[in-house]
Amino acid sequence: MEVGMEVIQCTEDCITEIEPTKQIKNDDLSIEQGEIIIEEISRNHKLLHRHKLNRNEVSIGRNYHNDIILTDPHICPQHLSLKYSQGIWHLSDNNSVNGTLLENSLDKRQDAHQQVISDGDVIILGKSQLRILFSDHQVSDTIALSPFESLIDLIRHPIAVFINVALFMLIAGNISYLNQQVETNISQLFVSAFSMSLLFSLWPAGVALVSHLTKNEPRILAQFGISFVFFILMWFSDLLEQVVTFNSASNSALGLLITLLPILLAFSLFWLNSYIGFHMSAKRRFVVALSITALLFGGTYLLQYSKKREFNPHPNYNATIMAPVFLIAPSNSVDDFIKQSNGLFEQASKAALEKD
Amino acid sequence: MKAFFTLVFILLSSTTFASEQAEEIFAQLTPSLYQIKLIDKASGEKSSIGSGFQISNDGIIATNYHVISSYARHPEKYRIEYLDHQGKMAEVELVSVDVINDLALVKRQVEGEMPYFQLSDQKPTKGEKLFALGNPHDLGMIVVPGTYNGLKKESFNERIHFTGSINSGMSGGPVVNKSEKVVGINVATSGNQIGFLVPHDKLVKLFNDYNKEAPTDIKQQMAEQLLANQNKLMKVLLNNTWQSKELAGKAMIPIIEVPFIRCWGDSNADKTDALILAAIANCSLDENTYLSSHFFTGSVEIEFRYMQAKNLSDNKFYHLYQQQIARAGAGNRAGKNDVSEYQCHHDLVTPSSTANTNKEINNKSIFCTRAYKDFPGLFDVLYLGASVDKNQQALVSHFTIAGVSQENAMAFTGKFMEAVSWK
Repeated sequence: MEVGMEVIQCTEDCITEIEPTKQIKNDDLSIEQGEIIIEEISRNHKLLHRHKLNRNEVSIGRNYHNDIILTDPHICPQHLSLKYSQGIWHLSDNNSVNGTLLENSLDKRQDAHQQVISDGDVIILGKSQLRILFSDHQVSDTIALSPFESLIDLIRHPIAVFINVALFMLIAGNISYLNQQVETNISQLFVSAFSMSLLFSLWPAGVALVSHLTKNEPRILAQFGISFVFFILMWFSDLLEQVVTFNSASNSALGLLITLLPILLAFSLFWLNSYIGFHMSAKRRFVVALSITALLFGGTYLLQYSKKREFNPHPNYNATIMAPVFLIAPSNSVDDFIKQSNGLFEQASKAALEKD
Repeated sequence: MKAFFTLVFILLSSTTFASEQAEEIFAQLTPSLYQIKLIDKASGEKSSIGSGFQISNDGIIATNYHVISSYARHPEKYRIEYLDHQGKMAEVELVSVDVINDLALVKRQVEGEMPYFQLSDQKPTKGEKLFALGNPHDLGMIVVPGTYNGLKKESFNERIHFTGSINSGMSGGPVVNKSEKVVGINVATSGNQIGFLVPHDKLVKLFNDYNKEAPTDIKQQMAEQLLANQNKLMKVLLNNTWQSKELAGKAMIPIIEVPFIRCWGDSNADKTDALILAAIANCSLDENTYLSSHFFTGSVEIEFRYMQAKNLSDNKFYHLYQQQIARAGAGNRAGKNDVSEYQCHHDLVTPSSTANTNKEINNKSIFCTRAYKDFPGLFDVLYLGASVDKNQQALVSHFTIAGVSQENAMAFTGKFMEAVSWK
């Protein structure tokens, strides 16, 4: 204490000594002690630490004498002090090198020397931010647990996650079995299914890591469970799309409709990922999920578009065929097929006339 | 194996000899022989060379269409020049073509009387000695003795089979008999002393038609010839009674028994590790029409493929089967400036001829077509039928026809689809 007093025998110190004397004069107010909540927040307003202090004066700085000690090197040893008098908290900057800014809830920044602090204000000092709250601060309404929570609870159960991953591996193994041109054995299929599921695990793991890094709860199991459920659903939508294109003619509208299904599924997955991993408003969550979906499908489309050759000398047709069990549509007659194909000649002639 | 033709452009020279008789012929005819050069206007250099010979007093020179094809397709880019035995060069004008028989007539300016080749009025006899003239590889005019071996058996458009070396650069040169009359025009080779000639009567017809009425537009003339030729070809194919033939004892496929369509077969019965047993029959027209170095037409290809799964699940069989049919391509070469992109249609089709019988087949049928840019009314078509009604067996029926009219293409497609069934 003594050493500290000696070091800070500069101008600022004199002011601090005067202030309490004023407060002592007002007996009725001195009974009412100041109560302040100071939150250390990150730049994107994430809470780092919270201090609740019951006193009339709070000093903030890098020095260890302070009530709130900050480590930011851009902050002075005795950077600022907050004083309570007549029911009002004042902020005073102690001639700090980098100054102090006060940002009120209206988002107006102003230089803070002798300022009145109101509830919710953010003090910017150095590269750090402090949010000031009073104990009568209005908290937002309680959010009821959504029905998703119970669904997520079900999906994040280790047994459910295990079943999902196992099902995914089974599907991945089946796909690689179908694609093998030569005879294969189980261990080869297992290896490819395992590596496939490892690859797909990167997504939920990545999401969990990001939510951990942004000071959210990672909830790894929930992310894994929900992601693999959707991977499986997407495979089913793929199968459905194949069945539809196999059973319908090229001029069918159903084929177009079915291509929207994977987009919808991807959007739902991203929405749930952000629901599980991050605290954000419903609107923001919607926008984030929509943006990632647009990025994924738009990016894929762009990639395909950029790869497209200037002129394709080969026909580009849909050759989807499936085993007879998937055949549900009735067959057409040769005459109808010829009639429908006749329209192609006109299209081709029109395309031939186009100047490139 | 398929006979393999290379246009006379590309092959390497082989030794030639000239008998006394050949010497004599050469000495007499050489003033009417020319080297025909296509000069690229921008660079001023020759882009292709061939031979030609004068057939009239007023300067008509006969050559191959393929020698001057670049000019016929892009007259703004090239000019045609001749080089005579004295080394004189001058520009000539393209006056008529026969794209089907690979012939062209160009005209030079003449001052006064000129010697020219007489066209024979009769066909040579088998074994008759003939002399091919031309300028191989820009080495100078030569004469190659050889033998007439009749017409090529399986050709739709007649070609003479000539036993003698015909080399690149000799294209468009005349082939004469002992009495120095033209009986054919050098056109192609398949190497090893096997050469092909256009019979002289095609040139006679082209020359007579030109004398009657000169064509006003070469592209128009080509379009008419292509359209007429495909009509002639498709008429023969459609009027033929298609024989139904077994494939691998399981399927019935049509075989068009005309001499110019030749069929070949193959199977993988010897490959024990193959997952699918496949038997393939394919038939094709062994000739096509040269339009430019990247644009051919007039080809017909038909292919049937029977497949049987060996120890496979239905799903895997169909998965591999799909890979087999996913990449059917055009039967002819054509580029961006020649044709549009393909337009396709697909559907499930059961031919009425097989419906409700034990032959019934249900196909996924795919039909694609692209249109010619310079020759309106002509299309390349492609059909692919893949059976989807048997768990462990499949039948693929496929054809491509290049340079065909819509009417003929659809008549052929309909007939073809009805003719394929299970046994």
